[in-house]
Amino acid sequence: MNRYSRRSVLRLGGVSAAGILLAACGKQTGVEESKNVRSVGVVPEAEGLSNVEVTDIVLLRTAASLEYNAIDTYDAALGLGVFTGAFAAASDIAQRLRDDHRGHAAAINGLISQLGGEPFTCGNPRLNEIYIAPALALITDADNENPALDVVVLAHALENLAAQTYQGVVTLLTDQALRQAAMTIGQDEARHAAVLAQALNPGLAGVLASVNATTGKPNVAAVPGAFGPLTPISVTVGPLNSDGTRSTLILETPSLNSLVYPDVTCA
Amino acid sequence: MTQPTAITPATKADRELLGFANAAEFAARDLYAIAAASAAFSDDEKTVLTGFHDHHRAAAQALAGMAGSIATNEPAAAVLDIFRSRLNGSNKNAILEALRELENTLAATHLSLVGALEGTGGAALVASILNVEARQSATLALLGGRSLNDALTNGAAPLSLGAGS
Repeated sequence: MNRYSRRSVLRLGGVSAAGILLAACGKQTGVEESKNVRSVGVVPEAEGLSNVEVTDIVLLRTAASLEYNAIDTYDAALGLGVFTGAFAAASDIAQRLRDDHRGHAAAINGLISQLGGEPFTCGNPRLNEIYIAPALALITDADNENPALDVVVLAHALENLAAQTYQGVVTLLTDQALRQAAMTIGQDEARHAAVLAQALNPGLAGVLASVNATTGKPNVAAVPGAFGPLTPISVTVGPLNSDGTRSTLILETPSLNSLVYPDVTCA
Repeated sequence: MTQPTAITPATKADRELLGFANAAEFAARDLYAIAAASAAFSDDEKTVLTGFHDHHRAAAQALAGMAGSIATNEPAAAVLDIFRSRLNGSNKNAILEALRELENTLAATHLSLVGALEGTGGAALVASILNVEARQSATLALLGGRSLNDALTNGAAPLSLGAGS
């Protein structure tokens, strides 16, 4: 006759399993302690950010990097040779806006030098990696039917991004004169964005905020609201995907992981 | 990592400046109301002018919120005096040019305020309004058939603080 009831066996089994689990979680002699959360497999060591400060110089270097992002994008657009026919006038606009950005970059780098910082003379590496390079790849895809239009769409988005960035750093810059200098350029970027918005959606219908009745999405507007937004910017470019849609990138102003700290250099 | 300090509130001196901007924005609202009533414009054009009117009203109200009891919520007479006479007549482009200059004047004024305001909260609000007025100026230049350079540059001088009354 069995001396253990079914209930006893289950209770004993549960206690044993809990004991094994606790033993597994405990320290074992001869086994090196890992800093990682216990897991199966090899986990790379966590790497923290270096001890950096978000200073006025860092914010200005970031602004300078955005200027070079814009310069590079306009240069790339002009180099594509797509501004022909209906887009011939866009070439003149692109050259003018690129030249404005060159002036802005020089002005910002002048301020950085005055503050004792190292000027930054190339595009923001992080924004290049996650926004601009993917967008240009989509635009120059052989299956893209309208690269000229898409280049203007990207430029419009970058101008909005720049205008938002300058507006956003007003709350971060510690010096009032620097805030004014930032917005001197910021309002230029806002004008650029308005001009490009009119190129994309010309005339009275493209001035104020409106919604596309077919897609339900907002139309491009030169003056989309009463206040300068600080919201993500969506950019739809490139060829049609297999499902009939086109790729959309979401652009956001630089944040802690895309600021140009002193240890960020132009490769 | 050290992050920047939090947004700082408007000081007493800031509230004076924000109250001045409040009056200038209400004047712009009233000037757009005059323009939008002009027979020189089509219904579609009036829709745009009314939209810009609404933007100035929203800006004025937001500035009033920061200026507090210092805000008069009345249009700045000096600003009305500068531009009102240029909104008469049937020359559409002349009216658009007057409005463009109004936007540029306000943009220049707000730019100087951004450099004067101590609290970052007020400076951020004014910067936000400034970017919209720069867009409105550029748009009016294009609608008025002016050059790309006119759309992209601002040669206006800022209003002096005394122009608010």
